[in-house]
Amino acid sequence: MEASRAIPAPSVTELEQLMVRYQQADEIAARSLIEQLSPQLYRFFAAQLGNPDDASDMLQDAWLRIHRVRHTYRAGEPLLPWVYAIARCVRVDSYRKRRRIAGREILVEVLPEPASASEEPSDLPTFDQLIAELPASQREVLTMLKVNGLTLEEVARATSSSVGSVKQKAHRAYERLRGLIQSPRSGKGAAT
Amino acid sequence: MTIDFQPLPHVPPDRLKQIETALIADLKPVRPLASTGVYLAAFAGIMVAVCVIGCSVVGPYGWHALSQLQKFAVFVPLSATSALLGFSLVRQMRPAAMHARSSALLSVSIFVLLLLIMTVIFHPAQESAFVRQGLSCFRTGMTFAIPAAILFSLLLLRGAALSPLLTGATAGGLAGLVGLAALEIHCPDLNVYHIVAWHVSVTLVCIVAGLVFSSVTFRRWTSNH
Repeated sequence: MEASRAIPAPSVTELEQLMVRYQQADEIAARSLIEQLSPQLYRFFAAQLGNPDDASDMLQDAWLRIHRVRHTYRAGEPLLPWVYAIARCVRVDSYRKRRRIAGREILVEVLPEPASASEEPSDLPTFDQLIAELPASQREVLTMLKVNGLTLEEVARATSSSVGSVKQKAHRAYERLRGLIQSPRSGKGAAT
Repeated sequence: MTIDFQPLPHVPPDRLKQIETALIADLKPVRPLASTGVYLAAFAGIMVAVCVIGCSVVGPYGWHALSQLQKFAVFVPLSATSALLGFSLVRQMRPAAMHARSSALLSVSIFVLLLLIMTVIFHPAQESAFVRQGLSCFRTGMTFAIPAAILFSLLLLRGAALSPLLTGATAGGLAGLVGLAALEIHCPDLNVYHIVAWHVSVTLVCIVAGLVFSSVTFRRWTSNH
């Protein structure tokens, strides 16, 4: 299985150097870092949520959090796991906050259900439709590995888990995806 | 097999501009977090300082009552647990640092081992004022643990803990171990029931307090942001 369009990754060393200059209050480095990392982060949030507006809000939250804790990055350490660990935390916090708000909201009218992904007349489901069928932890690992182009070690660092655990989650995700692709109509059944 | 991604959504330019403006407006040079060794030394320094100063005030009667074997059997696992918890705390201060969770889990295993050792090396005895003496010890333990917890929190504020509950429990556990160590140095009562019920409970109460405190502060923090 291969991704037909991966995000062109900027050089890791270059990003790490930019981060160090950002810590030293270099304005150009800060702008450059935001421009180079934002598309990756945006894609990370969008792949998890499927809603561009929420992804955009989370991107802003993530950058504010990165800015606040930028002193915790140490020169020479891998930058991407550090960034994704914060992004992951922002996503979880945002989910909790949204759930809390949703619990307080009163439903005034029932909105029509959007058409489900499996009802679209397509031979093969898209990547986003496929990963939406996966459990959150597998979706997260697969997004980091295949969409954001992180290595197994980087994903392990970002998720505070072991490489073995990441491999296991990725393997289970591939198994499910294989089942979904082979029988797209019975995809929901395979995902349970 | 090839899977097509849906068109990559572009980051809205106005949002990107908004982020840049917000960050640049607050751009100041920052000093990177000190090395793991520095923070580990700081945590160890707090533990030793609280124990030494506190025990010099209340008296090291327990230290004199313990045999060499008991001292070795209690303080070696206690130091190992504290070192692992301290290491885990330092790691938790920095996002994406390795071994933060595994060392915390390992420290739990060593703590359980310490409990087992205590039940073997100390013997049961009859006590006329089990609860009264126990409560007195518990209070003493907490008077050591609370200042340690406050000092640990001040250090932790410098970092960025992404799992507040784990950090709260770990910091609480470390502060509780300060209380336990101080009680082993101070209290001459070698009754196994007294030690397990009143000395060890200081650590357990501190872990729960750390969890509750971090949960409440984290909930407030997320509702305000």
